Amino acid sequence: MFQNVKSTLSGYAKYRGEGHIAFVLHRIAGLATVIFLGLHIIITSLVFFAPSWYDKAIQIFRNPLVMIAEIIMAFFVVYHGVNGLRIAYLDLFRPDLWTTAPTRKATRGVFAVAILLWLPALIIMGHSLLVHGLGLLGGE
Amino acid sequence: MENKFNFEGLAWKWMRYSAFLLIPLVWIHAIIQALIVGGHNLSLDYVAMRWAIWGWRVYDIFLLAFAFSHGMNGLRQVLMDFVKGSRPRRLLNGLIFFAWLLLTALGATAVIGGVRMP
Repeated sequence: MFQNVKSTLSGYAKYRGEGHIAFVLHRIAGLATVIFLGLHIIITSLVFFAPSWYDKAIQIFRNPLVMIAEIIMAFFVVYHGVNGLRIAYLDLFRPDLWTTAPTRKATRGVFAVAILLWLPALIIMGHSLLVHGLGLLGGE
Repeated sequence: MENKFNFEGLAWKWMRYSAFLLIPLVWIHAIIQALIVGGHNLSLDYVAMRWAIWGWRVYDIFLLAFAFSHGMNGLRQVLMDFVKGSRPRRLLNGLIFFAWLLLTALGATAVIGGVRMP
């Protein structure tokens, strides 16, 4: 197990290229999302199992650090979605395009689209962080 | 080519087909709750109001079923790259399956049971 982790990590560090960065980012984003989702399911299910705990539990999401993590999570969800769309489309419909040059172009395009789609979330959630998280701009 | 039941092949297809469905399902959910309503406005009352509409409960059941199975299978596929040997792999598969089943049951019970106002 340890040897596998070691060789994978050194492989991540040594091998460069857009396709590989996309692969690593897709996995990190997916991992973060499934951890968030697990917590989200447990916390939300409190509304049935322990309703008086629910409003206390979601106070966590008013913590400024957690709010910053949520803004990063938003990027992960958007990136994982756009990149996943690329992977699913190529695998299911155009496997002939799985070659170096088109993959390089597509991964850059995916990154640009993900940043663009994330910007509104960054602005809205960033504003909420300033107002509700940090008590700035007349918030409390 | 073999014709017998191939779980890994099916899981591979599942990740890709569910991806297409998850784009609208997850994004609409996140846009409404995180951006339009805003995390700071979430409360027991809000969930009760939302689940008063049965369409949203059906929506949330779909979300739970597709997103969490996609996520847990993805987790399994990633961990399989690090865990070799048939016994550790069987153990890992069992653990992830159990965790998936438990949390799905937990979530589904809450969605169907609804908010129990204290």
